[in-house]
Amino acid sequence: MLSLGSGGGKPVKPSFVSYVTPEEIKSTERETSRKEKHPDLLPGEVVFCSTNPVLKYTQDDVSQRGIFGTLVCTNFRIAFVSDEAPSEEQAQLFKNKLYGENDIPLTCVDHIYGGYDEKKKLITGGLVRNKYPSKIIIHCKDLRVFQFSLTYAKEEEAKKIFQGIIHHSLEPKSLKCIFAFSYCEKATATPEIHRTPRTVMFDTVEDWTQEMKRTKGNCKVVSANENFSLSQKLPQFFIMPTAVLDEDMTKFEGKGLPIWCWSHHSGCALFKTASLPLMQEDGYSQAYKIYMERMLNAVAQTHLYSVKTEELSDTLPTIQDIQQSYSRFKQFFLIDNTTEFWLSDMKWFSSLENSGWLDIIRQCLQKAVEVVECLEKENTNVLIMEEAGSDLCCVISSLVQLMLDPYCRTLAGFQSLVQKEWVAGGHSFLDRCNHVHQKDKEQFQSPVFLLFLECVWQLLQQHGPAFQFSETYLTVLSDSVHVPVFGTFLFNSPYHRATVMKNDSPQTQRGPLNCPEVWDWSLQFERKAQDLFTNPLYAEKPKQDKGARRTYRPKHQRQLSLPSSAFKTPPKKGFFKEETDSLKKMLRVKRISRWLHSPDSAQASTREFYEAWQRKPLDYHSLILPCLDGPAMRVWMQRYLRWIHEVQIFGGGAITVMSKLADLVGEVQELRRELERQACRADSNHQRAAASHRSSVRLSSSFPFATSRVWSFKPAIPTSLLQSLMITGGLADQDDEDGETLGVV
Amino acid sequence: MLTGSKTTFKVRQIVPDMKERILSHGGLHTRGRDMFGLRCLPGECVLQRAVLVRKKLSAREGGGWLAGTLFCTHFRVAFVPQDSQKPDDNADPVLLGDHDVALASIEKVVAVGPSRTKLVTPNSSLKFTPEELVLYCRDLRVICFLFDRLTPETQAVEITYSIAKTYQPLKPGTILSFQNAALGSVEMKQFLSNRRHDAQMNWFESVTDWERELERTGATGWRVSAVNDRFEMATSLPRFNVVPQKVLDTELKKTFAHFNEGRIPRWCWRHPRGSDLLRTASFQNNIYHEKDDIRNLEALLFGGQQQCVVVELAEEMPTPADIQLAHTRLRALCLGDISASVSVPDDKWLSTLEASRWLDHARCCLKKAAEVSCLLRGGHMTVILQEQEDRDMNCVVSSLVQVMCDPYCRTVPGFQGLVQKEWVMAGHRFLSRANYHRDSDKEEAPVFLLFLDCVWQLWAQYPSRFQLTGDYLLALHDSFHLPLFSTFLSNCQRERSRRSQRLSQSYTPVNGWREVLPQDPSQDPVDPPLPPVWDWALQYSCQRRARFTHPVAQSSAPQPVLNGNLNTNPDTHKSQLSDGTLGSVFLLSRGTFSSPSHLLPWRNGGGSGSYRKSHRRAPSSESLPGLERLIKTWSQSEPSKVSPNPQDPQEPLLPLLLGPCIGVWRDCYLRGALQAQAFCHPTPTSMYHPVDQLAWEVQQLRDKLALASSGHAAPTTKKQESRRPDTNLNQNTNNGTFLFSAPRPSFVTPRGLPPTSAPPRAPPPTAPLPRLANRDPSKRTFLFSHPPDSRQDQRYTPMPSTRLSKNSGPSLGS
Repeated sequence: MLSLGSGGGKPVKPSFVSYVTPEEIKSTERETSRKEKHPDLLPGEVVFCSTNPVLKYTQDDVSQRGIFGTLVCTNFRIAFVSDEAPSEEQAQLFKNKLYGENDIPLTCVDHIYGGYDEKKKLITGGLVRNKYPSKIIIHCKDLRVFQFSLTYAKEEEAKKIFQGIIHHSLEPKSLKCIFAFSYCEKATATPEIHRTPRTVMFDTVEDWTQEMKRTKGNCKVVSANENFSLSQKLPQFFIMPTAVLDEDMTKFEGKGLPIWCWSHHSGCALFKTASLPLMQEDGYSQAYKIYMERMLNAVAQTHLYSVKTEELSDTLPTIQDIQQSYSRFKQFFLIDNTTEFWLSDMKWFSSLENSGWLDIIRQCLQKAVEVVECLEKENTNVLIMEEAGSDLCCVISSLVQLMLDPYCRTLAGFQSLVQKEWVAGGHSFLDRCNHVHQKDKEQFQSPVFLLFLECVWQLLQQHGPAFQFSETYLTVLSDSVHVPVFGTFLFNSPYHRATVMKNDSPQTQRGPLNCPEVWDWSLQFERKAQDLFTNPLYAEKPKQDKGARRTYRPKHQRQLSLPSSAFKTPPKKGFFKEETDSLKKMLRVKRISRWLHSPDSAQASTREFYEAWQRKPLDYHSLILPCLDGPAMRVWMQRYLRWIHEVQIFGGGAITVMSKLADLVGEVQELRRELERQACRADSNHQRAAASHRSSVRLSSSFPFATSRVWSFKPAIPTSLLQSLMITGGLADQDDEDGETLGVV
Repeated sequence: MLTGSKTTFKVRQIVPDMKERILSHGGLHTRGRDMFGLRCLPGECVLQRAVLVRKKLSAREGGGWLAGTLFCTHFRVAFVPQDSQKPDDNADPVLLGDHDVALASIEKVVAVGPSRTKLVTPNSSLKFTPEELVLYCRDLRVICFLFDRLTPETQAVEITYSIAKTYQPLKPGTILSFQNAALGSVEMKQFLSNRRHDAQMNWFESVTDWERELERTGATGWRVSAVNDRFEMATSLPRFNVVPQKVLDTELKKTFAHFNEGRIPRWCWRHPRGSDLLRTASFQNNIYHEKDDIRNLEALLFGGQQQCVVVELAEEMPTPADIQLAHTRLRALCLGDISASVSVPDDKWLSTLEASRWLDHARCCLKKAAEVSCLLRGGHMTVILQEQEDRDMNCVVSSLVQVMCDPYCRTVPGFQGLVQKEWVMAGHRFLSRANYHRDSDKEEAPVFLLFLDCVWQLWAQYPSRFQLTGDYLLALHDSFHLPLFSTFLSNCQRERSRRSQRLSQSYTPVNGWREVLPQDPSQDPVDPPLPPVWDWALQYSCQRRARFTHPVAQSSAPQPVLNGNLNTNPDTHKSQLSDGTLGSVFLLSRGTFSSPSHLLPWRNGGGSGSYRKSHRRAPSSESLPGLERLIKTWSQSEPSKVSPNPQDPQEPLLPLLLGPCIGVWRDCYLRGALQAQAFCHPTPTSMYHPVDQLAWEVQQLRDKLALASSGHAAPTTKKQESRRPDTNLNQNTNNGTFLFSAPRPSFVTPRGLPPTSAPPRAPPPTAPLPRLANRDPSKRTFLFSHPPDSRQDQRYTPMPSTRLSKNSGPSLGS
């Protein structure tokens, strides 16, 4: 055990770790620990530099305690290897196979601060050349915070590692430098063990045809873009209304083309498009208008000749808003100084509110509900538009499908959905995440995908049994975005991916590179850990009445969508732009965002819709709607609070209940197996293997992420008592001298 | 229009005014308590009814609608679902059915018309036919009834009037008439007087009750004193108090004068490590302290221990006024301003919540209780909670400490005993604080509700370590708003026993309610006997009572042995604290310890140090840090290192109090929120909660297994198992560590148990599950509470024909 307290001349505080002073370290143990330990490198991983000894502080900066070890910077991660032997006690169930708990993938670094004496300075790459700080504080995108002290290392080495870390994690680099490329060059292609049913990747015509068949859509699969000749934004294959003429497709580089997302069982469908700038002044605008009208016409012909359009950027926050709000929000959880957290505590709720993040989530869900209402109740086609058609369009269209389509709530279905709407849909993951730290791309950075996951989490929270995957799955998925191994989140569009891969292949002479997909979870987690991805409460669809359900369904539909045809819907006041005014008469085009001008009617209609939905018995395998009012929006505790020791409830929290449920499921399976065995060998002695249950006793509320509880050195009793303790800190120190033996209880 | 619409409602005129309106009178029939399908209490009058009414169900009840008939009696608003089972005439009367609301808990009646909303008061007249009737209740429920188009319009109007006129307006004296309406009939009085005390819980009414508690906690050196038997020494104190053994009654008598209201330091509880928890009012400073008095006082404070920490509660804790203000704000936030129908915008919800400061107050109480728990853990001292009057925050903190430290207090009987001990007997001013009579507006403060909220916070953080559930806390919360229970209708034990003495000449404290009332009930027609709130069978059906406990609780048995043996355990703190600090008194105030000379009033008065040597009076500041360490070390040390089992019953359940860990009691405060109710996610009647499903599946598989093995000369044990699948299930699932392995303790009085032994039905071939509700309730609530759905087919679905048949007016449902 090698840890120490350096309390600025003060005697070492008693702790359960160790009592070795820095001086002792230098004289005795330094030599033995001289041989630096290196992490187990992944294929293709190269060590740039490493330093020993580096002190990694425990989270509490006041105590100044920590563990010594080696800090290593590789082309994949910043790794800290403890000098101590890894404690066997933590049989880490949820260990990530790619990076350990003290490793930070380079793309996961959010901010780096340098600690100069008592000051803390944000380091923005390039600036620091001569002076290196005594302390590095790293904020990660998965909300971990690390603090390393460089004062014990040799000056040269410390300088080197500091500059190395800054250089590799903050400075602009080319996409090729991202670890995924060296990884998949070297990694032996593991035989892909696909679980059944596998994730649909949507990179072939068959996938799209299959998806359309599944939802019974009646549009056409277009393969004109196979070589990206049509548009660089669109995927190779996509689906459009049958009425769109081939000649129209080539205009405007695919902008304005209504891309099919999903078909409702009533026949109406959801489309998304990158909108054309309708407001332009010159001659273009007329052409745009005509073009747009034709497109709308085509969409409308899909079903009952009705369509509603929705310009998302009018009513939803911009991607910059999202970014700003999120960076305000995450500050509450990125704490390198627990005192800050204690102080923020008094204003907790209002500061959460001021960040506006929860409100953005609410707005997205609200918008999705409106679209759902159009599809489900009014049975009109919906066309959602946005400038690029690949940010909020993805959020809304995916949410709509989650609410309407039970398949999307299964594990495979959700992965296919992300693949369809986000990866094939051309969400610019690279720009939004800014993996390569390009200065000019900073304005495009925005956690849109995370916003989507947040919305899903809210749905999951409210309708647990409707989802096959668990909260843990979502948390892990949100972390994986920042692991630079998976091709899923590395590119801006299918075109981008194809070009990067193609350029790469001639050099390696090995055919196109194949980055692993994030969906291959076995790369990251053991089989057992993956069990935590499934929701023990998931109400599986009863299989036996599948046939019965088919016959039953049409009846269900009719009851569900009260005025079934568009002609019966009472005319509602809508808000139209002037250009589409003619369309209004012709096509009954309506904008969804009615409430802008007639809030009452929209409120009332949404309410009516909710009530109609509510009146039916809840079926977890049909439509689910989120509750949107103030108290319903919650903080994703698991994601945001998992690393903060102060808020871990040891032996408590919802996880005790969940693990109990998981045990119960295990018991059911065990009994089933037993029953089968009984059936086979009827004469066997009855021996029930006691199912090995996870003891919920030892779980903390942030299981599975922080299984071991590292106790902070702040009392569990906050606020006034804390303050008074800090005021009387002198007294406390004094008594530490007196009663050293008492420290270890 | 309406006959009685212009007469102003007056309480005392209730009988003559109502006579003409009464449709049917329960008392008139000897057998037939059943009127129009409503099972009335004896003497209950049905004033009005409306047919074809739909009740909006809350999310907890499953959401959606329920069709049935609405009644207004002069005690309650009752709703009888269409296909509900025929009531059993021989069953015990239940005050309120699952869908009923007591008139006294209604706060506002709002009628919703086609285009407008009106608050209906006893004097107002309606100018429209209500389509919807919304009842806002004091316990934060909002109940909504919808009139169908087939409901006769007169019925809709009449019942709205009836409810508006009969619900209890805020006037003095209305409580009595309400109680009379519910409990005043001969039959009911007879019935109530025959009810028996729940023997499972400790009522703290007799000497033996207190002795039982002393024995349970393993407290030695204490005795039960009956010096206050006739409430002569202190009117607000209970009849029996626990004081140090060595203080004689004659000596004790002299100490009362030194404390505010005579509330001397009394023993509450002993921590397994040997510290004692005491509570007291503040010192009376203006009297002369004689030497003998001082010795007695100190003997009271130290109670055989060598150290004494006085925890001053007044300074940091919220005052009753603060609590009242916070609760008012919370109500406004959760229910919205009803008449103005303005609610807090969604994006301002959190900051409004914060501004209400309710959560801060809850946090504050929990924090103080956590501090005290840590102190007690140190062992060998008395911790004395001191408050000016010893009747509000002392109750909160002392009972929270026990919930945190004593696993028994997390079971239903234990918790009820705790409330009985620290609130009811200790003289919390329930009557004034609840302000049922509307005559003590300044005194009103829901201190008890704040306590319930604190317990809920603990429960929400450690659900698996409680035997009681959120449903239980909710039921207690709701009962607090119902002025029917002796528990809440007096300020102290003296008032309570005076009241019952007036009722029954033969009252004796030992077996109080068991006494048969005087045969002639007309002797006292005004005051019906009031039942204690713990008689849950009066209010809740057995299905709902089954949900009060969940088998998920802490590892130790419900009755842990706290025999005080732990006192002898080697304790690191012991040596530190007892060394040379004999007889020290410390003050914990604002989170710091001190040993001020003026803490005890007689210290200044001279003469200190003149008595026994062993009581060295010099304030020993060197042991202050030792105490502070007690609070600090707990949180700094890892529980798994302190004790191998973090669920060691000795270790207090310390709540986490940071912002993100403190939650809103949604099930309670938000169940009435209009939006929440409208947007609640319904649970289908035909589908069961997955947990129920799982439990059912486990049982099915076990049965099959048993069957399979029994086919081949099964051992008898297997058969037994299949006969009692319930208990076995619990045991096997978690090796007896997680669920309660013992059969659920029944806190139901034997009489209140309806026939529950109906054999489980075989699952019908169509339904995936058997109707769990029909089975034994203890089986049904296998793991967690979930509403039993006994109304599989009663859900109202609007039929197209219904809608077509009446075209006038827009329908809400379409």
